[in-house]
Amino acid sequence: MTAPATANELATELKAQALARANARSGNDALGPMRQQARALLEDTPFPGPKHERWKYTSLRALEAGHLKAPAPTQQPVEVPPDLGFARLVFVNGHFHEALSTLPDTAGLQVLRLNGEHEARLSDAPASPFAWLNGAALEDGLLLRVAARTQLESPIHVLHIGESGEPACCDMRIRLEAGEQSEITLIEEYAGNGPIFTNAVTEIESAPASRVMHYRLQHEAPACLHIGSLILQLAKDSHIRSEQFMSGSTLRRNEVQAQLNEPGAELELNGAFIGRGSNHADNQVCVEHRAPHCTSRQVYKGMAGDKARLVFNGRIYIHPGAKDSSADLSNNNLLLSNSAEIDTKPELEIYNDDVICSHGTTVGQMDALQLFYLRSRGISEPEAQRMLGIGFINELLLALPHESIADWARPWLASEVTEAE
Amino acid sequence: MLDIQDLHATVEGQEILKGLSLQVNAGEVHAIMGPNGSGKSTLTNVLAGRDNYEVTDGTISFEGRDLSGMEPEERARAGLFLAMQYPVEIPGVSNLEFLKASLESMAEARGEEAPDSVTLLRRARAACEQVDLDQSFLKRGVNEGFSGGEKKRNEILQLMMLEPKLALLDETDSGLDIDALRTVAAGVNSMRDENRAIVLVTHYQRLLDYIVPDQVHVLSGGRIIKSGDQELAKELESKGYSWINGEEQSA
Ligand SMILES: Nc1ncnc2c1ncn2[C@@H]1O[C@H](COP(=O)(O)OP(=O)(O)O)[C@@H](O)[C@H]1O
Ligand SMILES: [Mg+2]
Repeated sequence: MTAPATANELATELKAQALARANARSGNDALGPMRQQARALLEDTPFPGPKHERWKYTSLRALEAGHLKAPAPTQQPVEVPPDLGFARLVFVNGHFHEALSTLPDTAGLQVLRLNGEHEARLSDAPASPFAWLNGAALEDGLLLRVAARTQLESPIHVLHIGESGEPACCDMRIRLEAGEQSEITLIEEYAGNGPIFTNAVTEIESAPASRVMHYRLQHEAPACLHIGSLILQLAKDSHIRSEQFMSGSTLRRNEVQAQLNEPGAELELNGAFIGRGSNHADNQVCVEHRAPHCTSRQVYKGMAGDKARLVFNGRIYIHPGAKDSSADLSNNNLLLSNSAEIDTKPELEIYNDDVICSHGTTVGQMDALQLFYLRSRGISEPEAQRMLGIGFINELLLALPHESIADWARPWLASEVTEAE
Repeated sequence: MLDIQDLHATVEGQEILKGLSLQVNAGEVHAIMGPNGSGKSTLTNVLAGRDNYEVTDGTISFEGRDLSGMEPEERARAGLFLAMQYPVEIPGVSNLEFLKASLESMAEARGEEAPDSVTLLRRARAACEQVDLDQSFLKRGVNEGFSGGEKKRNEILQLMMLEPKLALLDETDSGLDIDALRTVAAGVNSMRDENRAIVLVTHYQRLLDYIVPDQVHVLSGGRIIKSGDQELAKELESKGYSWINGEEQSA
């Protein structure tokens, strides 16, 4: 028997696997240039090891099982979540599944596949080696272009299902380009079962005065692994609101890179992440104010039961020229058990004086007085705890603009909270 | 219905109730008055079973059952209700859900059928009307952002929905303007019933103009030091609590 790999050896091994995967994919199609560029970046980027501050709480050891060496095949999914009442584009193990999909009304919207027919480029936001790997190995994905001054009434729903009985990996990529003064709602949903590693990248570019509503619903089974990057780039007077709901799993990491690039951009990020069993969820959010008169608001809530481990790192970076910036961040967390752990850290880097910035992070237990109040009305202690757990997250659901998403989220939340205890 | 004998209780290790005795029969309304800090809220919290309120001596019997070993939810299911002096805010849990969960737990414990959602909503709306709360309050988080008076009215709304055998109302009158006081009093009066007992804890006499008690007790220094009828409340009002304290010291 060989000794277990050290963390450094693991990082080296995973990088070798990632490069091998990239090399196997360098076709001569329209995605070729993007893959090559991403491959070069991948080669230059060390894989996270024990010394990486940003990976302090998240180990890649689960990938030791060899997921990166086994691309998941296209297959008929065993379990397809119910639709949300909107046109839905379905991907299975990173490949578009035509039979399960309904195409949206295309007036003012271009729906293109990133399968080699159309060019794509990498956004210039900083990214993790996994995001580069996604670009370097990409076989299929989605490009959505909303024409200028088009207001799409109905949301576009993109569902990714990852399923595998053996350790395997797949890539998923969505790029949304919202034209000037356009409006769109994009719902990303990730479902799945088994030891499949989904390596996802979503890029959203909002052109001047456009409005993008984005949802990210992640409820893959605990055995699934998911590393995702969400890259948001905002032009003048554009508005992006993103609502993120995620269950923890064996390995889950979400990186959000938001760049407010031009004056008047507004960003709203809200999220709830729930861990139970021995699940893990790591959120790394970075909001950069790169131009004056921009606003960002973030409300993230974490809730951990059993032996779950949650991480939140919220970085706000205000550039020297970004005068009259307004940024705030709140991350409140609820611990449901003594064996659960939540690590949260705000990081502020502010390089000019004309800024209104606030941030607050808390980790707490259930409020004894609230519990007593419920129990004094005849409600049992476990039920009272369940109600308070749901209530904690429900504050975010109550503010959702789409009732159908709240309707999806309530049973999700109820089952997460019930199993979290 | 309620029989308290020589009750001693501590809050976080400090003795607050020092030999309190009180008997309340079904159908009666009792008022407990007393200066701030005399232990009125402590008494109601001890009865409701709040954490950290510990009985160190004496007995509490409710319909012949010893309350002291029971969890707060068991006491509630047995028919005890506490309208808190400072009702708690629970954002994210709507008032209606709260009422539903409460009624369902009570019904389940008694082996009864809980009201269906149509009946629940109809009753909740009627109760809203009676305590003069807009129906939108049913959808809002429990007490979330309610004014002081709205919180008190919400407690009375719960009282009406839950129909307990014994209602303890802790300073439900404080912070109410005269119209709200009348509404709350009317709500409480509508709950008077030969099978139900009501204990009003109050600092002021004026509530007793609207809800006429059968007995008035003065709580001071952790004990009931004087009992009487409504005249006692009037006397307290005109002479102030120092009258009682003085009398106690000279006794
Ligand atoms: N949670 C608590 N911790 C410590 N002391 C308390 C607590 N609650 C009440 N007390 C003390 O107990 C005494 C009685 O308080 P309380 O029962 O609230 O009086 P009342 O309701 O008559 O104004 C006071 O001295 C108060 O400071
Ligand atoms: Mg009091």
